[in-house]
Amino acid sequence: MTSQNEDATSGRRPSLHGTIEQQVQLPLRKALEIAWRNIRVRLVRSLLVTSGIILALAFLTYILCSDSLTRSFVENGPPKIKQRLENEGALSRVSDETAKSQTRWLVGLALLVSFVGILNAMLLSVTERFQEIGTMKCLGALDGLIVELFLLESTFQGIVGTAIGIVIGVVLALAEATVVFGPSVLGRDVLPALEMLKWVGICLLTGTALTVVGALYPAWRAARMQPVDAMRSEV
Amino acid sequence: MTDATDNANAALPDEQALEKSGLLAVHVIRSVGVRRVFQVGEEEVHALRGVDLSVKRGEYVSIMGPSGSGKTTLFNMIGGLDKPDEGHVYIDEVDIAALDTFELAWLRCHKIGYIFQTFNLITVATALENVMFPMLFAGLSQADAQDKAADLLDRVGLGDRRFHKPSELSGGQQQRVAVARALANDPAIVLADEPTGNLDLHTGEEIIDMLEGLKEDFHVTIMSATHDHKMLAASDRVVYLTDGQIASIKDRDQIEIHAGTIDGQSVA
Repeated sequence: MTSQNEDATSGRRPSLHGTIEQQVQLPLRKALEIAWRNIRVRLVRSLLVTSGIILALAFLTYILCSDSLTRSFVENGPPKIKQRLENEGALSRVSDETAKSQTRWLVGLALLVSFVGILNAMLLSVTERFQEIGTMKCLGALDGLIVELFLLESTFQGIVGTAIGIVIGVVLALAEATVVFGPSVLGRDVLPALEMLKWVGICLLTGTALTVVGALYPAWRAARMQPVDAMRSEV
Repeated sequence: MTDATDNANAALPDEQALEKSGLLAVHVIRSVGVRRVFQVGEEEVHALRGVDLSVKRGEYVSIMGPSGSGKTTLFNMIGGLDKPDEGHVYIDEVDIAALDTFELAWLRCHKIGYIFQTFNLITVATALENVMFPMLFAGLSQADAQDKAADLLDRVGLGDRRFHKPSELSGGQQQRVAVARALANDPAIVLADEPTGNLDLHTGEEIIDMLEGLKEDFHVTIMSATHDHKMLAASDRVVYLTDGQIASIKDRDQIEIHAGTIDGQSVA
């Protein structure tokens, strides 16, 4: 006992040496569950964010797919109908550079708006939960877990929104092509199925990346928060 | 000092239990010359001006002092939430300033249980899950954590409220959940910062009584901040903090004489 006290006064860690360990993370399943409930608690805001993503991604998917459809129709479509359409100017979108760049701007803006929406919603959500984050840290949560929780939350909304947006976009593009070019566009040698699948993949990645990147800064801010703030209970 | 021998005896069984883990230090908390200065605008605010305090294992220590006396700052130091500008804080003889982020998180998780004035339960989680969190952070399996959390909730008298969310519980019940949560990982220390501040007198007394009872059962050291004299009855020692310094320390027998007169004054 005396030797320990001597050690203690010299400021070393005699009795505990080796027993202070590194902290572990929460199992992913539990983290998912919490993230899901946090979404449900703020359902209206979550739906708003998700609908922003749906709109932007539906737009992006629609533009990409409908361009593919038109291009493919120009290359492989029945020559007679093609001629008629060219006269009507329906195929101008693929060749007209101004129209193309305008569309690109619009898509870019739509993506930006949904990105800012995510950023804003997640920042709000972090500010709202200062005390909760601090408490979690007091209980032994690591910064990584806090980041994980926020990223999961936004990724979840991102994936759902993106998936719905893509479905809407593809359906719209196909419907429009059928109306404009006639049902022959859905034929086996005309429909650019592979290319459209590629666009769907790209859109899925874009949408998910957008939400993750949008949540990174808020999550990082949340994680860097000092647990002291949870103790500061004065209102 | 008769007081020292008394406390040593009281701490005996608890030390035996802890022998296996090699935790034999008598003073579970030791602060040496702790100073903390906050920069508020142009001004320097000295929250703590050299606090020396040693708390023995198994003690119930109350910190008294008006708001702004540095209570919370001292708590944050001891809880490993903040580091002193000068001086040292030892928890189980480990200087917390020497710990890295991961070790600090471990310390908070395993060694310290927190009870807050505002309960601070996780709102989206049930009572049971709230108690489970620290255990999951400690690496316990879901099933084990669930069993232990249910057990702890029984101990604080909330066995039938396991699946209630905090919003469905009264203040007193929420604080009981918080007490169970604080004890989840069998900590060495429970830090309670104004645990009764948001409760009515009767409920507050219940919480204090419960803490005192659990102190024995869990062999835990309790440090509690309060400015209510009625909450001092359970304390082994009371530390009076004024203006960032310890004004006086009183032992249990001294408090009881004192508390009477103070009570008399407050009634009058």
